Amino acid sequence: MIELVQVSKSFNAGKANQFTAVREVSLAIAPGRVTVLKGPSGSGKTTLLTLIGCMARPTSGRIVLRGIAPASFAGPDGTGEIEITSLPERFLTGIRRTTFGFIFQQFNLVRGITVLENVMLPAYPTGEAHGSVRRRAMELLELFNVGRHASAPVDRLSGGEAQRVAIARALINDPAIVIADEPTAHLDTGLSREFMEIAGSFKAAGKTILIASHDPIVFDSPLADAVVEMRDGRVTRGGSAP
Amino acid sequence: MNRTIERHRHIIDFALSSLLRRKGKNLSLLAVYVLIVFMIGSVMFFIQALKREAALILQGAPDMVVQRLVAGRQDLIPVGYGDKIGAIRGVSGVRPRLWGYYYDPAVGANYTLMAADGDRQAPGTAVIGSGVAATRRLAQGDFLTLRDYSGEPVLLEVAGIMPYASDLVAADLIVMAESDLRALFNLPGGSATDLAVAVRNPRELATIAAKIARQFPDTRPILKSEILRTYDSIFDWRGGMVVVLLAVAVLSFVIFAWDKATGLSAEERKEIGILKSIGWETGDVLLLKFWEGTVISLSAFLAGVILAYGHLFFFSAPLFEHALKGWAVIYPRFRLTPAIDAYQLAVLFVLTVVPYTVATIIPSWQAATVDPDAAMRS
Amino acid sequence: MILHPAVLALLAASLTTGFMMLYAGWYGVQIVSRWDIRSGSELQLSLERRTYLISTILSYVLVFQILSLFLFIYTADHLHTLFAGAMCAAGTLNANGYGYPLLVMKIVNFLLAGLWLIVNHADTRGYDYPLIKVKYTLLLAMAPLVLLELFLQFGYFTGLHADVITSCCGSLFSQEKPGIGGDLALLPAKPMEAAFYAGMALTAAAGITFRRTGKGGWLFSAASTLTFAIAAASLVSFICLYFYELPTHHCPFCILQKEYGHVGYALYATLLGGGVTGLATGALMPLRNRGSMARIIPPLQRRLAAVTVLLYLLFTLIVACRMLFSPFRIGG
Repeated sequence: MIELVQVSKSFNAGKANQFTAVREVSLAIAPGRVTVLKGPSGSGKTTLLTLIGCMARPTSGRIVLRGIAPASFAGPDGTGEIEITSLPERFLTGIRRTTFGFIFQQFNLVRGITVLENVMLPAYPTGEAHGSVRRRAMELLELFNVGRHASAPVDRLSGGEAQRVAIARALINDPAIVIADEPTAHLDTGLSREFMEIAGSFKAAGKTILIASHDPIVFDSPLADAVVEMRDGRVTRGGSAP
Repeated sequence: MNRTIERHRHIIDFALSSLLRRKGKNLSLLAVYVLIVFMIGSVMFFIQALKREAALILQGAPDMVVQRLVAGRQDLIPVGYGDKIGAIRGVSGVRPRLWGYYYDPAVGANYTLMAADGDRQAPGTAVIGSGVAATRRLAQGDFLTLRDYSGEPVLLEVAGIMPYASDLVAADLIVMAESDLRALFNLPGGSATDLAVAVRNPRELATIAAKIARQFPDTRPILKSEILRTYDSIFDWRGGMVVVLLAVAVLSFVIFAWDKATGLSAEERKEIGILKSIGWETGDVLLLKFWEGTVISLSAFLAGVILAYGHLFFFSAPLFEHALKGWAVIYPRFRLTPAIDAYQLAVLFVLTVVPYTVATIIPSWQAATVDPDAAMRS
Repeated sequence: MILHPAVLALLAASLTTGFMMLYAGWYGVQIVSRWDIRSGSELQLSLERRTYLISTILSYVLVFQILSLFLFIYTADHLHTLFAGAMCAAGTLNANGYGYPLLVMKIVNFLLAGLWLIVNHADTRGYDYPLIKVKYTLLLAMAPLVLLELFLQFGYFTGLHADVITSCCGSLFSQEKPGIGGDLALLPAKPMEAAFYAGMALTAAAGITFRRTGKGGWLFSAASTLTFAIAAASLVSFICLYFYELPTHHCPFCILQKEYGHVGYALYATLLGGGVTGLATGALMPLRNRGSMARIIPPLQRRLAAVTVLLYLLFTLIVACRMLFSPFRIGG
């Protein structure tokens, strides 16, 4: 479970263009469920995702992860509860790598290398043996029906295929939580529904899903267990009491 | 341990593919880098080879040479001194040497004229070095014309030309009979240019030299070790001068490398943002940059050293020879023997790879600390 | 000044190291005064990013120090032909008053840089950078020492003029001459031998005890540092004699030369390595109770102790083998 307490994030503090993306958000994300962040662009969804996903540190407030203990990381007091707010970057990244899988809006695949390499990239720094990473990557690509593109450069893929590769990459380290930022933005209706089915299969596998989207296919889907509405950096509906 | 090795292996893999993806930028950097290593390497190896040649040649030189000074300048030494020196305990032999310099106005060159030992050279004949033969266009059997002290011409038949292999010592040498030399320069009998002294125990050299200087205050004993030292100093100094001049080149290279390293294209910045967002730490990206730099450095170093070696030992360093051999009209032609050791390579490494590495520390760090959420917002 | 390319390389490397330390020191001041791990402000984030740079710089400084230490000795050895009366590096170093202080400074800075990197390694494993202020205070202490070394190095090389008569190591390290070289040789060989083996044994025992039980860390570190000093003195006093097989040749630099199989490098590498790790074990002792360090430092110290014992063992082995198999025996 992920708990946020009065979390805020501002950029360019003290300067003329100071901008607060997230204001005093308190939220509880339940494990094993699909939570959707709904709101127009500029509402702070993406920033909130980066905070939850250990990609950035909040300017104020606390974020606590409970019941999530990646194998390579032991909490300071061993209770399985980790406050990530003031963790040094090293540990933050360690947690992110093992616990979270990201699917970006723009897919963010590295151009110039093959599909297979792209999927294997997140596992490079862990020092896991090349052979086993490769095997897992191929399995994932097969699972999403893009196995035949394994040695192709990513530039040649269609939108749907690229997204599947991005999903495979997100799963290479077998994360407990999958975060997706506007996953259906570049997809047609058919592919969007397919995506929600894939998300359902993650949920069936026991993973926690967090999706930010303003697409009704996503937030009106029967799979969405909780919907959190955001506007101007604040949670307007669905948050927890501070 | 295995994990660390695998991690490095993966990152090296990615570093190589990363370098290949930006061929243009990296090739131009590599080219300049190789040039720098090549230039400094050539200079250093050349100096080292020259020093070795000098040492080898001086092996045959006498342990001690005694000269006589008059008013601070070298003058003829009486052979009688030699007899007395021979009586000093520890001296195993004294050989008077007769030699001098001859200026040839026709070509503007100085020749070294030397009297052969005993009767080795028949009067009226001479053996000349290949440099003399070349400038005066002489072959065996031709006649060499010199002018004596009074301006009268003296003819000597060329009995032989010294082999090319002896060029370093003998290019400008003319060996003739003692009587001819004395007549040419009007040197009185019983005098010599200097005395070559051989000593039984080399450790006694300094003591014997001191004794000679005491007994004959107008003489100056010179030890072979002192000559070696002086040659070493000269070559070191010459080498150092050229390296100092090349410092400007190294500085330009450093600035160039810095520029290349800081100039992250938008594509590169995005790529690093992606890496960080999928789980690479700053430390991992720093390692990536380190390996990229190492691959470039090692390739450039290797290529530069090989090219310098070839430049030197196959082509005799046409680019630098005049600066390093010294000014003269007759240059001995000689092939240098390769003399590269680990120490040379270490010094070359410090002069080239270290500046490059230092120049890229800050740019690498700037690249590695790109914020991951930059990738989210593109 | 002798314009040998190696001299220029050493001076350039020193200058570079000096600048890097100044740069690191400047940011060190900022970090010591403004660090606050709990804050998520942009200043804190930029300071955290900056620590990566400082660690990278210090790693390179350590590598350069090692490189330049050995390069310096080798160059001093190489240049000995330019000085009448100098038979090896010892004579070159004695050519002017800066030589030996410079060597001492280089060794000190090498030890400190190694120490810093080990403390840094411990710090990065903790969740809250508990040793950050300690680290950067140490850095600020190191910076003037590095600058001192730079100053000494410039002084030394600009004051070197070829053909200066120096005392060759024979007379420098002989019994009669006063000055540090002479004093070391004066230490009688047999007692030094005893002290050397005793020191090594004590360090080994303390190290093994510490590794097994975790007790006696201070004793171990003190023993290893004392043994470092004894071993260094022993090198001059009696160890070299066995390698040269001459009762009067005490110079510790000739063993680096080719005639002796470059064994000097092995001896110095093991001794210096063991010195750093032993010193670090002691330096980490007072930091054990800082938050997360309680779980990080003890295992790290155990590993350091093991490394120290191993390196010292190697050193002792090389010496003992030589002493056993050499036909030379110290008389008396």
